[in-house]
Amino acid sequence: MSAIWKRLLAFFRGARLDRDLDEEIAAHLAMQEEEFRQKGMTAAEARAAARREFGGVAQTAEIYRERRGLPWLETAAKDVRYALRGLGRNRGFSAAAVLSLALGIGANTAIFSMYHALLLQRLPVRHPEQLVTLYRTGGWGRGFSSYPLYREIRQRGDLFSAVLGRSSVDKLLFRAGRGDRFEKAQVEAVTGNYFLALGVSPAFGRLFTDDDDRTPKGHPFAVLSYDFWKRRFGGDPAVLGQAVTVDKDHLTVIGVAARGFRGVDVDHHPDLWEPASMEDVDFANASSNWLWILARRRPGVPVSKVQAAIDVLFQQHLAAIYGNQPNAAFRKTAMNQHIEVREGGAGLSGLRDGFAVPLTILMAAVGLVLLASCANVANLLLARGAARQKEIAVRLSLGATRMRLMRQALIESLLLALAGSAIGILLAWWGEQGLLQFLPASSGDPFDATPNLTVLAFAIAIAVFAAALFGLAPAWRSSAIHAAECLKSGGPSGARHHSAFRQVLVVAQVAFSVMLVALAGLFGHSLAALRSVDLGFYNQKLVAFSLEMPMSWKAGQTTAVREEFLARMQSLPGVSLVSFGAPGPFLGGWSQGALRVPGSEATAHEPAWVSKQEIAPRFFDILGSAPLLGREFTPSDTATAPQVAIVNQAFVRAFLPGDAHPLNRVLTFDNKTFVPIVGVVHDIPHQGLREKIAPTVYVPIAQSPTFFGAVLLRAGQSGESLLPAIRREVEKLGPDVSASDPKTIRQEIDESIFQDRLVATVGGFFGLLALLLAAIGLYGVMAYSAARRAREIGIRIAMGAKRGAVLWMVLRGSLLLVIAGLAIGVPVSLIAARKVAPVLFGIRADDSITFVSTAGVLLAVGLAAAFLPARRAASLEPMRVLRQE
Amino acid sequence: MSTGTAKTDVLQGTLDLMVLRTLETMGPQHGFGLAKRIQQISEGMLDLNQGTLYPALLRLEQRGWVRSSWGASESNRRAKFYELTRAGRRQIERESQDWERTVALMARFLRPAGPAE
Repeated sequence: MSAIWKRLLAFFRGARLDRDLDEEIAAHLAMQEEEFRQKGMTAAEARAAARREFGGVAQTAEIYRERRGLPWLETAAKDVRYALRGLGRNRGFSAAAVLSLALGIGANTAIFSMYHALLLQRLPVRHPEQLVTLYRTGGWGRGFSSYPLYREIRQRGDLFSAVLGRSSVDKLLFRAGRGDRFEKAQVEAVTGNYFLALGVSPAFGRLFTDDDDRTPKGHPFAVLSYDFWKRRFGGDPAVLGQAVTVDKDHLTVIGVAARGFRGVDVDHHPDLWEPASMEDVDFANASSNWLWILARRRPGVPVSKVQAAIDVLFQQHLAAIYGNQPNAAFRKTAMNQHIEVREGGAGLSGLRDGFAVPLTILMAAVGLVLLASCANVANLLLARGAARQKEIAVRLSLGATRMRLMRQALIESLLLALAGSAIGILLAWWGEQGLLQFLPASSGDPFDATPNLTVLAFAIAIAVFAAALFGLAPAWRSSAIHAAECLKSGGPSGARHHSAFRQVLVVAQVAFSVMLVALAGLFGHSLAALRSVDLGFYNQKLVAFSLEMPMSWKAGQTTAVREEFLARMQSLPGVSLVSFGAPGPFLGGWSQGALRVPGSEATAHEPAWVSKQEIAPRFFDILGSAPLLGREFTPSDTATAPQVAIVNQAFVRAFLPGDAHPLNRVLTFDNKTFVPIVGVVHDIPHQGLREKIAPTVYVPIAQSPTFFGAVLLRAGQSGESLLPAIRREVEKLGPDVSASDPKTIRQEIDESIFQDRLVATVGGFFGLLALLLAAIGLYGVMAYSAARRAREIGIRIAMGAKRGAVLWMVLRGSLLLVIAGLAIGVPVSLIAARKVAPVLFGIRADDSITFVSTAGVLLAVGLAAAFLPARRAASLEPMRVLRQE
Repeated sequence: MSTGTAKTDVLQGTLDLMVLRTLETMGPQHGFGLAKRIQQISEGMLDLNQGTLYPALLRLEQRGWVRSSWGASESNRRAKFYELTRAGRRQIERESQDWERTVALMARFLRPAGPAE
């Protein structure tokens, strides 16, 4: 150890130690000389004898130096200096190489940092690999389960060492002290064992236990997240024991959770936790799904076994509750629920559920981008290696070993890659900001803004990998020359070999580009198909926002408050029309109703579940969608007026197929009141553009009051300019009423297909990038080969070849390379396309438009890239070329 | 941590021990003095370039068996003096035992073999 330390020290003090050694040897020689002189030699004889006795002074010094320092470090430092000088001389080459690597590495880093945050990062809890989440599917929402089910699962000590539940993370009104203003805080209600089961310790104070979660409304305590404590309370330890208000509850802060723990929802980070018992819910109601269950598997119990056991448990649970349900349709829906046991170590993420596949595809795509840029740089290096053959031959004949030359070449590659990754990391940061713009606000904030060590390590690792990838072959090639021959002939040897290798690289590059362009084309075409989905209405500039009143309010109260609010909205300057709908268009809400249509086969045996919207008058007017038949609701459809309903086209198709006069029909929700259908409207894909349009029934909101819904405004200005006025009006309704930020329907639609837009945009960008790289590669190879064949071409022209023929000869060379690339790239892309099929909409994975145009684009690029070299070749003056030789 | 091939290792090892032993008997000494002394003792049996001594001294110093300091020689010339460290003394003991064992072992092989050379 100490020997290495001394060597390292010596490395940095080289010059001084050299002087020491010289002096020591000089002293030695002087003493020997003196001795010889005393024996009677002359001064000159003594001097020579002393040197003979000593042996080679220079050799000794060299051996000594090698022994003293770290020779490999010294030569490496020399190589780095040499490489830097070389790169500095070739500015154009270096810039092109660094830039193309920066793009490749940057794209990878940007996508990887998202991939890492969403798919790889584990929760900072004890043994995250043991965690599973119990994801409920089937009717009535997804993911969340009921409290009774949680209690049942908790009994299963044979499967789990702990079972915990948590509510969604909700933005609630929060006040730190009585005098303070209300603000919003993210609150998660959790079962008492939450922290213990996860293995999260307090930063200080204490965390909940099961004793904090026994009686409803009986445990007014709060635990703060570390970040919130720092941000909101300035990290003041006096926060313990402080009273805070959350919604209407007064809670006492009992502790702060460990630093870095941000709950189990990757997308939404709670600011504070409260015991589940503080929730305003009916804990005995097995149909109220509000609790997301996570569990810690016992060691040795595989997920498959848990799944099997939970399947049995859940079906028994459902049978006990719904088995005797008289309404057959309801029973069927109720029983058709399942629980998926999923790995939970990476936490829950709604974003991940929908985004994992597109993100994985993008990750693969950026891998291709990196390969393409490596191929490009390898090509540049080869071109330069060819130009530097003479220099290399000289160095070889001066005694440089091939190993040394290769090491030098590799160090040069590494420098390029590291410079590329430095710029790439900046590009990645910038690119990630751009990517995040696509995410809707509702998807939360799963991505850490702070630089992440894993991501940095990844960027550097791929840089090193890239350096090896693009550097090794050119290093091997360019040092494999016959020094003597090369110097003798004065020209590069093995040039044919060289250019064959470069052609292989270009073909590979074209193949990568084919894959990326085809992917981009598929995504672009799929997005276009989504965009062309018939919305069923015209007014996309419509401004909408959701309004939510407390569930505890009576129907009369909600109606009165809503009516008053809508009237105030109507009087805002610039607002020309106001309506209301629940759940409303495109706002992700949903409501269902079971009904029968007398006379319809489809509901003859049991009622059918349809999508249900409660709407105010002029709902379709404001959307810009005139009813196909009949009328829409008017202010005279009041609570006391006869009940009426409007249905959509899908409804008619499902229940009244072929009926030319749906307006003569009635429907019934309760088998007692028969409601006439007064209108038929266009299908509107409220649940999202990708979803099949459900049979939908619209009823007047006055006849079916609800506590939430969407306010719709037709306004002269944008939602943002209305925001302050809307906020003011919402505030007047008191702290219990909340509203989302107003957006145009167009924005809502955009956000609902953000994944498609993101994948298409990013894919398109990568496709262009790959095309550019391929064009550069093709140009380089064609220009090089045209220059090499200048003599041959000159002779051909002199012999009477047409210039058009020469032009075509060069162009054809380029096209052949592209065709070779297509021959590899297209089949591979067709296979890859099958993997992306799940995220495509409205087109097949082997979409012919995409693949034909991909081939067309690449052939065009091949022609364009070769055009300049071809024209140069065709305009050669034979005499000049031949004279040059 | 040894460097070089097996053959030079043996040579290095012998030279190292010679240097250490010489320093043990003579006390602090400069390179020239050491070289002369080693030549004297070996009485010409050892064909040693004096220069070879210096890398050996450096190696010993790196391993912490000798330390060096600048001082004045008998003829009042500035020279680097080497002296044995405590670790160096321990090393001599270890190495000597090794050598004795090796010599004894080789002797057993050589004795009954009869005609030597």
